[in-house]
Amino acid sequence: MKKLLGLLLALLLLCGCASQTDAADDTAAPGTGKDTFQTDPVPEGKPEPVEPQESEVTDAAFTCTISISCATILDHMDNLDPEKTELVPEDGWILQPVAASFHQGESVFDVLLRVCQENKIHMEYSDTPMYNSAYIEGIGNLYEFDCGNLSGWMYKVNDWFPNYGCSRYALQDGDVVCWVYTCDLGADVGDNSMTS
Amino acid sequence: MVNFLYYGLVLVFSMFLMHPVYLAISLLGAFCYSVWLQGRKAVRFTVLGLLPMAAFAALINPAFNHEGATILTYLPSGNPMTLESILYGFAAAAMLAAIVLWFSSYNEIMTSDKFVYLFGRVIPALSLVLSMTLRFVPKFKAQLQTVMEAQRCVGRDTSNGSLPQRLKSAARVFSIMLTWSMENAIETADSMRSRGYGLPGRSAFSIYRFDSRDRAAIGWLLLCGAYVASGWIAGGARFRYYPTVKAAPVLPLTVSFALVYLALCMTPVLIDWWDGRVWDAVRKEVSS
Repeated sequence: MKKLLGLLLALLLLCGCASQTDAADDTAAPGTGKDTFQTDPVPEGKPEPVEPQESEVTDAAFTCTISISCATILDHMDNLDPEKTELVPEDGWILQPVAASFHQGESVFDVLLRVCQENKIHMEYSDTPMYNSAYIEGIGNLYEFDCGNLSGWMYKVNDWFPNYGCSRYALQDGDVVCWVYTCDLGADVGDNSMTS
Repeated sequence: MVNFLYYGLVLVFSMFLMHPVYLAISLLGAFCYSVWLQGRKAVRFTVLGLLPMAAFAALINPAFNHEGATILTYLPSGNPMTLESILYGFAAAAMLAAIVLWFSSYNEIMTSDKFVYLFGRVIPALSLVLSMTLRFVPKFKAQLQTVMEAQRCVGRDTSNGSLPQRLKSAARVFSIMLTWSMENAIETADSMRSRGYGLPGRSAFSIYRFDSRDRAAIGWLLLCGAYVASGWIAGGARFRYYPTVKAAPVLPLTVSFALVYLALCMTPVLIDWWDGRVWDAVRKEVSS
C-alpha cells in the first residue's frame, strides 16, 4: 500500500514540477513573511537559502565534514519497525564524520548524494517542488516513519538546523554537516523549532 | 456456493501471500484452470495480454521504489536501483497476473444465474442490477459489431475516407449505439413488468441442489483453506522483500503448507480431469 501511495505521489510530483518552477518567480505569499517556497525568515546571522537552479558551481575546491547518525533509534528500539533492527549500527553511526571535498556553490544535498554513492550507502530522496528542495526519505534503508510517527531524517550545519531544504543550503568551506535521525520531530536531536 | 467459496479462498490467498513459492503455485493453478476452460484463447490472452502487462508492472516498481540493501546501479536522478525492488516488482507482477487469470476463469464459472441464486435473497436488487450490468457489456459489444458491419456494407465505416469523414461515421455509430441501448433498456423494463417483476412472493429460478458431492467439496475446501490460513498466521508464508530478501525457513511443516495450497489451487482442474476420465470409461463400456 505504501509503495502504491509512493508511486502516486511520484506521479503527482512529476506533474507538479512543470507548473511549480514557473510559479516560483512570482511574489512571495504576502503578509506571512514567507518566501515563495514556504520558508519563514532565516534567523539573524544565518545563511539565506540559495535556489539550486540559480547557484553557480565554480572550480574552487572546498572541504566539509559530513556524518550520518541514527543514534536516537538506539533509545527507541521498541518503536522501530522490527524488520529494520538489523540495519541500526551498534554505535548509531551510519557514516562516521569524514572530510568530503566539494565545489563552491554545491548544496548539502549534492554532497550527501555523492558521499552516499561513494560509500555505498543506500539513500532515497524525492524532489518536492513546493519547497524547491530534495526531501531525504531514507538513508541506509532507514526511512521516515520507521521509528514512530515523528521520525525522519534532519540535517544540521555547524550545529544549526536550517529551516529550509537541503538542496537550498549552499555549503561554505569548512562547514560541518550532520545528518541525524530523529524519533521526535527534532526535539531529541537538539532542534526545538517544531516543539517550542 | 462451492464455486464462490473456492474463488473467495483462492483470491484472498493470492492477494495476501507474497511469498514467491505461493505466488508461483497460484499462477500455475490459475493458468492451468483457464487453459482447461478456454483452451487456446487463454494461452493467447496470457501471452499477448498478461505477459506485457506483468513485465510493465515489474519494471515500473524499481523506477519508483528505491528501497533495498543491494544497490545495483544508480538511476539518472541519483536514486539507487536495488535488487530488492526489482524482485518485489516481479512478485507484484506475478500476483497481478494470477489474480487476472483467476478472474478470467471466474467469469467462465460464475455465470449470472449462479450469482443471482446465491445473493438473490440477501441483496435482491443489487444482485439483479449487477448481473444485468455485467450482461450488458457483451451484449453491447455484439450489437456494436453488428452495427459496424451494417455500416461497412453501405460504405460508411470508420476505416474509410478522410479523417473528418471517419470521425463522422464513428459519431454515427456511437449515436446508433446510444439509441439502441436506451431502447433496449425500455424493452427490458417492459418485458420485466409484463412478467410480473416487483410482485410479492416471487422466487428466483435455480437448478442447483446441495448434494453430497457439494458437501464433500466444501469440506475439502474448508480443510485446505483452514490449513493454509493457519500456516499463514503462523508465519509459514512469510517473505520479506525489504530491506533484504528473507524467507521463512524451509521446514517439512512450511513445505506442507505450500503443498496443501498447491492442492487447493489445482482442485478444479483435477476434479474436471477425473470426471472426464470417468466419463470416457463409462462411454467405452457402453459402446463396447
